[in-house]
Amino acid sequence: MATNRWLATGNYFTSYKDEQRIFLTHFDRLMFCGLLVLAFAWPMFISASDRNMLVIDNILIAIIAILGLNLLTGFAGLISIGHAAFVGVGAYTLASFSQVLGDSHVLITHAWPLMILISGGVGAVFGAFVGLPAFRLKHLYLAIATLSFQMIFLWVINFMTFFNQGQTIYVGRVFWLTGKVARKQHYLFWYYIILVVVVVAGLAVRNILRTRYGRSLVAVRDNDRAADAMGMSPGLTKVYAFALAGFFAGVAGALHAYLYRGVGFESFTLHQSISYLAMAIVGGLGTLTGSFFGPVAIHLLELQVENLAEYMGHLIPAVVNLTTALRPLTFGLVIVLFLMFEPRGIANWWRITRTYFKLWPFRY
Amino acid sequence: MSYFFQLVVSGIVVGSIYALSALGFVLIYKSSRVLNIAHGQIIAAGAFITYALTVQVGIPIYLSFLLSMAITFFLAMGVERVFLRRLIGEPIISVIMVTIGLMSIIDGLIYLTPFGSENFSFPEFLPQAPLTFFGVSISSTQLVGVIITAILIGGFSWFFTKSTLGISMRAVSDDQLASMSVGISIPRVFGLAWAMAGFSAAAAGAIIGNITGLNFETLQAFGITVFPVVILGGLDSIIGAVVAGIIMGLIQQFAAGYLDGNWGLNGTANVLPFIVLLIILLFKPHGLFGTHEIERV
Repeated sequence: MATNRWLATGNYFTSYKDEQRIFLTHFDRLMFCGLLVLAFAWPMFISASDRNMLVIDNILIAIIAILGLNLLTGFAGLISIGHAAFVGVGAYTLASFSQVLGDSHVLITHAWPLMILISGGVGAVFGAFVGLPAFRLKHLYLAIATLSFQMIFLWVINFMTFFNQGQTIYVGRVFWLTGKVARKQHYLFWYYIILVVVVVAGLAVRNILRTRYGRSLVAVRDNDRAADAMGMSPGLTKVYAFALAGFFAGVAGALHAYLYRGVGFESFTLHQSISYLAMAIVGGLGTLTGSFFGPVAIHLLELQVENLAEYMGHLIPAVVNLTTALRPLTFGLVIVLFLMFEPRGIANWWRITRTYFKLWPFRY
Repeated sequence: MSYFFQLVVSGIVVGSIYALSALGFVLIYKSSRVLNIAHGQIIAAGAFITYALTVQVGIPIYLSFLLSMAITFFLAMGVERVFLRRLIGEPIISVIMVTIGLMSIIDGLIYLTPFGSENFSFPEFLPQAPLTFFGVSISSTQLVGVIITAILIGGFSWFFTKSTLGISMRAVSDDQLASMSVGISIPRVFGLAWAMAGFSAAAAGAIIGNITGLNFETLQAFGITVFPVVILGGLDSIIGAVVAGIIMGLIQQFAAGYLDGNWGLNGTANVLPFIVLLIILLFKPHGLFGTHEIERV
């Protein structure tokens, strides 16, 4: 039977290899390419203000971080309440180079792709270290290990004079082939760079999940004894999951530092960690598309919350800081409500829509 | 030398309150295997409720102390009923993430009140002059706090060893299936565990609020130190919680007394517990008194 490679009405897999394809139909491939072209081309037609561009850049950076967190929490089943600290490790790796070499040393301004990779590597090392107790214990104690890493990280940053005690450490402007990136082009330039990283990271995660290195994560999450019996080491796999998450977080952190041209402690607090977790949960734990939906949804929600706080601020006396109050409140509510009523997140809505259109206009 | 003993005394005071707050955490973990990340926030809420009842409503402090414990008792029970009851049977990981969400919600609610940003302190109701024994002084607030804590911990251990409800709670933590078969209602036990955790958390919050004053950040730092305490003691051991609480109190006081100010260090009391936690997890992951799980494959 010749299968329709454009519009499949169902799954007609005849081999495991079929199932592992990245794009199941030509239509999927076309959509992906179209989306990619759209993402790269729109800034040429629409010019966004710096403020909007910053929001978009932030969303993309969050997507990179969430790709890592989703591997850890969604696929490997380990909670991390310290993801912001891992992002911070990446950012502060760059900051320490800037402190030692000066903020516009050649390494930082010209060899920035290398710097981003190094930050990712350092993030991976820290992640693996925090994950080490996984060799000795099961269950979810590791959540507490990540929490304590978050606390230690913040203390170290705020205490050490090398890290400017949490005050901003500047990072110089970078150079591109055409010379120094101008102030006007800064956000646009980083939009393209971060977009490339997002695409590479997304494809990388998709491919990791097709190989034994990704499927071992899922196996350990679902039943670690069975995974052990099949020859995987559960402890090693968990440490490896932490290292992967740390790597993505580190890359996100370095990009964050370059985008803001500086690093300060306030982007890496416990509340930020919780909002990362909210992004992963809202997007959909254990789904690749969820890592894209979650950051978008939470960032848009955050903008709305800030607007609401500003609007309400005029109505009530200024005893309380509404923004600091409403942010944790909404993120907490979002986490709880999604876990209770839609544990599979927005990615599930996407899945339902797609299955609906698979057979459209027939109902079944 | 008297400086040393002074630190020991204040370490024991703070440590006993840690023990009381860790008790509630252990209770929830023992019965339902849920790590209650929101525990620190419940402690803070308990402290603020006591203050609001005492000062804004004007109830005598001992009465408002009892009343706030009763309020958090039912509040925690309600939280369990509304948010966690319907998650029974779901993977534990989502239940823990719900408690993370709860932590964020309670944080937000507290920030909505003046307690989130301003400092308050309880009205003085005990003699001001500290009591001095052999050169070591202890304020009467601290003394009363320790006495109340000791009474509560004693009450809890009586409850678990002698009363039917307490024994049924221990049975559930041992084996859920077996305890169901002898007629124990598991959801009721879970609800009760949360309620008693709220109860003890409110007591701990009120006592620490009396000693250090009411500042949300301080209370948060206090609440979050409960995690190192329970890990050190072993997550499912009540004796462990008490012993580890006192050890952690001593560690913090010695850090504040001997490390801060030397070698340019400061604020070590807030970070040392977490370093201890990481070391414990690496080398003795089941803590001092936790049960080692034996797996046969």
